[in-house]
Amino acid sequence: MTNDYDFDVAVIGGGPAGIAAALTLARAGVEVVVLERGQYPGAKNVSGAALYGPVLHKLIPNYWEEKDSFERNLISKKITLLSDIRSMTIDVNLKDFNEPPYNGISVIRPKFDRWLASKAEEEGAMILPDSVVDDFVWKEKQICGVKSGDEELKTKLVIIAEGSNNILTEKAGLAKKPNPQHHAIGMKETYELSQKQIEERFQVFGNEGISNEILGYTKGVPGGGFFYTNKNTLSFGLILNLKDLTQQQLKSFEVLEYFKSHPYIQNLLKDAKMIEYSAHTIPEGGFKHMSKLYGNGVMVVGDAAGLVLNAGLYIEGINFALESGRIAGETALKILETGDYSRKKTKLYLKNMKESFTYQDMKKFKRAAKFLENKRVFTVYPDMLTGLMERILRNTGRPRKRILPTTIKYILRKAGIFGLIKDAIGGLRSI
Amino acid sequence: MSKVKKPMTIDEKLDLTKFTTDQNYAHITINPEICKTKCSTFDCVYGCPANCYKFTEGEDVEGPVSFDYVACLECSSCRIVCPHGSVDWHHPKSGFGVEYKYS
Repeated sequence: MTNDYDFDVAVIGGGPAGIAAALTLARAGVEVVVLERGQYPGAKNVSGAALYGPVLHKLIPNYWEEKDSFERNLISKKITLLSDIRSMTIDVNLKDFNEPPYNGISVIRPKFDRWLASKAEEEGAMILPDSVVDDFVWKEKQICGVKSGDEELKTKLVIIAEGSNNILTEKAGLAKKPNPQHHAIGMKETYELSQKQIEERFQVFGNEGISNEILGYTKGVPGGGFFYTNKNTLSFGLILNLKDLTQQQLKSFEVLEYFKSHPYIQNLLKDAKMIEYSAHTIPEGGFKHMSKLYGNGVMVVGDAAGLVLNAGLYIEGINFALESGRIAGETALKILETGDYSRKKTKLYLKNMKESFTYQDMKKFKRAAKFLENKRVFTVYPDMLTGLMERILRNTGRPRKRILPTTIKYILRKAGIFGLIKDAIGGLRSI
Repeated sequence: MSKVKKPMTIDEKLDLTKFTTDQNYAHITINPEICKTKCSTFDCVYGCPANCYKFTEGEDVEGPVSFDYVACLECSSCRIVCPHGSVDWHHPKSGFGVEYKYS
């Protein structure tokens, strides 16, 4: 390190994306500092939270052998449709996922982020909590450090991992002003439930867990609810599109209470004690509304770059954060060797991202974001499918009708032939 | 169907969350003049998950909406939904603001 620089690389934000970048750099012997605005990594972070095991395994081999690394191994996925007092659930149990590196795991962010940060520290990264970055150190059009209050840290490269609220990415000229249409508000409640209660309530054993995504009963606002089981707690929450929510003049926290009043939710939360309430925005614009990934002396990773995917069955946030952070770290190693930190060199990060599953999946499912703006997905279809089951199953005392004609007639009446075809094509194209 | 329990109020829920309040610095401020002259939709009131934005009542008010930063979850919804640039959003100073334990 020369006297001109305090560190080789500064990382803004100690979430999964920032820590993955710092860890990768520190492992290679690079002097890296992480500036985390929270009291500790994870203190200001909100997630469902679940991620995929293989991605974490790639970063921290055999992560599952460590005590604080994860909560439960998600072998069961439920997808639930809600309407008035009805519900309908597709319940998939895959014991195939019962072996490390585990397909999906649930985590508690204040615990997980701190554990992940401790791994980066072991490798030699410096993590500075309570450090709010206000601006960059600029040298003409080149970013060459960060400013926190009166202090300046001069660095060769800066990696922005500030999360969804990407004020600094905007300041760096890499992101546009946020648009409510492309953002959702996620609200979350954490409940205390004993190991035994979780096992009984969700039919899981040992370290097994479930994820449950829920559609419908959100007053027509595009979005959805979720349950994730942790060791001794239950994560529950609701995600709502900010544009529709505000246009309909519905208060976010009131829609959450309405959603919770559904019998399906009531049963799963029964007698459980809430221990924390949290909320955060989520960038949901998809591929088209990602930020620019690089600039002079700077790269953007994770939520800050809009690397979040909601494609129905695939919901990606932490995975993309870890992977983009790791790739930015590896790219930085190459850039540092050249001694040129301009955009001519940081462009390599985009090239490397294009070869990774994160960017490719964002691109592959680029129509999903648009499709999920369609309100019918959240209103007409949950009503239609639960209503159809009611019709088929109810005993009326009269002779039963054949199922197929009943189904066709019912679906056409509820959804309309043109709407149905249009939505079916839109849905299929988006996945 | 089980009987629906009386839901917790938003204030009761926010009591569960740990905040360290900076008495000397409001990390978010709004411009009542902009809210009064330009806004008719008040999207901040609907987006905020912590009820920090409220419609004002009575004569002696600065603008149509009031904002209190004390129980702010730092989610950034107001920064995103305000179409008029009335919301000046900064992070709380080091050591202050929300601190999650279980989320």
